[in-house]
Amino acid sequence: MNKRVLQLGAAALVGAFALSACGGGTPDNGGGGGETPAEPGGLKTSISILAPSYADSSEADWNAIIAEFNKTYPDVEVKLQIEGWDGFSEKVAARIQAGDYPDILNDNAFAASAEAGILYPIDQVVSAETLAAIEPSLLKNGVGVDGTQWAAPDIASARMMAYNTDLFEQAGIAAAPKSWAELEDAAKKLVALGGDVKGYGMPLGKEEAQLESSLWLWGAGGTWVDGESLNANTPAAVEAFAQMQKMHKDGLTQPKLEDNRQDVSNLFQAGQLGMIVGHGQIVADAEAKGINVALAPVPDKDGGAGVTTGVTDFIVAFDNKDEARKEATGAFLDLLYSDAMYEGWYKGTKLLPVTTSMIDKAKAEAATDNDKAFLEALAIVQFLPVSNPQWDALQAALQGSAYQVGTEDPATLLAQIQAQVDAQS
Amino acid sequence: MSTTDTLPRAAKPRPTAQALRRQEALRALPWVTPTLALIVGVVLFPAGLMVYTSFFKYNNKGIRKSDEPVGLDNYIGPAGALTFPGVPIDRILLNTVLWVVVVVLFTVLLSLLIAQFLNKPFRGRKLLRLFIILPWACSVVMTATVFRYGLQENVGLFNRLLVDTGILEQSRAWTKDPTSAFWIAVFVAIYVSLPFTTYTILAGLQAVPTDVLEAAHVDGASVPQRYWHIVLPLLRPAIAVAALINIINVFNSLPILRLLQETPGYHTGHITTTLMYEYQRALGPGVSSALSVLNFLFCLVIIAIYLAVVQPTKEVA
Repeated sequence: MNKRVLQLGAAALVGAFALSACGGGTPDNGGGGGETPAEPGGLKTSISILAPSYADSSEADWNAIIAEFNKTYPDVEVKLQIEGWDGFSEKVAARIQAGDYPDILNDNAFAASAEAGILYPIDQVVSAETLAAIEPSLLKNGVGVDGTQWAAPDIASARMMAYNTDLFEQAGIAAAPKSWAELEDAAKKLVALGGDVKGYGMPLGKEEAQLESSLWLWGAGGTWVDGESLNANTPAAVEAFAQMQKMHKDGLTQPKLEDNRQDVSNLFQAGQLGMIVGHGQIVADAEAKGINVALAPVPDKDGGAGVTTGVTDFIVAFDNKDEARKEATGAFLDLLYSDAMYEGWYKGTKLLPVTTSMIDKAKAEAATDNDKAFLEALAIVQFLPVSNPQWDALQAALQGSAYQVGTEDPATLLAQIQAQVDAQS
Repeated sequence: MSTTDTLPRAAKPRPTAQALRRQEALRALPWVTPTLALIVGVVLFPAGLMVYTSFFKYNNKGIRKSDEPVGLDNYIGPAGALTFPGVPIDRILLNTVLWVVVVVLFTVLLSLLIAQFLNKPFRGRKLLRLFIILPWACSVVMTATVFRYGLQENVGLFNRLLVDTGILEQSRAWTKDPTSAFWIAVFVAIYVSLPFTTYTILAGLQAVPTDVLEAAHVDGASVPQRYWHIVLPLLRPAIAVAALINIINVFNSLPILRLLQETPGYHTGHITTTLMYEYQRALGPGVSSALSVLNFLFCLVIIAIYLAVVQPTKEVA
């Protein structure tokens, strides 16, 4: 206890010094050092990071930044905790419940913590230059319903409809479907090929049911957002769910709707699935197995411009009531988003970058049309309403019951989903 | 207990006896303190915290929403453990009873058979006894995972076996249907409970005196008679221990059902213990604790019924 008080005191003192000296941000083009506040090395504290494992290299990717950070701030101890995506929110909840807030959390949601008032608005932590470097359409996604920039996106992925061009050719489908009717037609032709070929992969398991059902809802011209709250029980949603049910009942989807995206992706890789909504990794995996893949926007009801959706993960900074830690957190994040560090880090995740400079660079370097299409989609994607505090409840309800659309009446199912959301507010 | 009867008669030595006992208790204190501390720290405190938590509102990240207790909201409120919309709670309560009764009953019956067999002298008995213990030596999570993979619809080995032998026409996604997954979990639970139960009963069997059996044999008692009137009553304490420990164990068994149920959400294959974890993820620790409290009471009721019906501690007549 005593030791802790001493440490806190010392940290606060150092923090005060550091603050008074703090002027500009960190340099935009990497490397750390040069223009940082006077005597940054004097900052003495420890910060902790909780991040998911995007790939096997995730820990090493973070450690590279920590090593670089410690060159400038040798006395800031950075504690890194990497956990698998499976059960990640339980890990976050466990640390929050223990009162051991990570200074930096990399997660896919922020609304509940923001509402509880345990976060710093991210623009109070990182420098204005860093925020300006992030693609505006993506940055917007980290704004809460109260208009505060609570979170900064750190990685993005766009979803588009991927289709197996060989199967399309065999089935005599000339172009990617644009409307639901065309989608059904194409799926029927694909199923008619026989040999266990499925038309459209519809993963409604607990991993991504929220995304798949949102795509259909948007396709029907609807939205979950209803003023300040979310509403699942709308005519557009019923229409979307009815169409999903029709696809399943006509035998155009995979047999089990509670499959996760990976299950469906496996079918796609095996050349047994015609169409799937996927991100870059799913396309890359299929191409690696020798499948010829092309991309198109996800069809909508009337064959309009289609739907393209994106997902961003976020960096949020928890308020540990300690100026020194806040200062160190800011400096660390500025370093993370600097081109020199960020490039290696985002490439390690095998997802898409969020800073404008890196998006441009990636576009220039894109080896295939498919890679480029995903990057270009980033500027026009629609996002899930992650900033709404009710989203957690809606997401959990969709993950738990959306798959029942195969057997239940769509209106009844949506009413029940909405009842679960309402019960929690 | 018996001292209270004798005390009034011997009025004089009473203070001395009490003082003696106090002294004794004081002397024992250093030895029992660690155990007491452990019980308080590991059992009583968490249990108290659980009851306390169940009266506050949390979000699913575990952040307490207000410092005002919410009464029974977490139990029967709009998002309560028993009343959350879309949860087939009647079915889940029934499942819980089925789960405990079926698993424990079959485990004990099968164990009685196996133990009887293992008690006979034959070549290779030691080796067989070793094999029987194997499911116990493996982690439950591992065993359940093996079954889960084996039953996978496209590449699962068990599915392959069933199709190749013509028992099934087409492979099935066993673990993606709440009902079939539930009964597979029952099977796996029996499988992993057998070793412990068998060994408890085997130990009981070895304590059955052979001279009594011989005497009964001489008196003309048939084999079933000997088993029913001599062996089984003598096994009563062993069976009682095995059944009680199994009830508690099976009731709280989470990994088997968690791993074998691949259906998401509040389906009809849950028991209250797995539902608790579903709640923790979706509704936070408040509601989850409420169900946990109910779960604890439910477990007590099941044990009370068992004790009342079977009376396992009754003396052998």
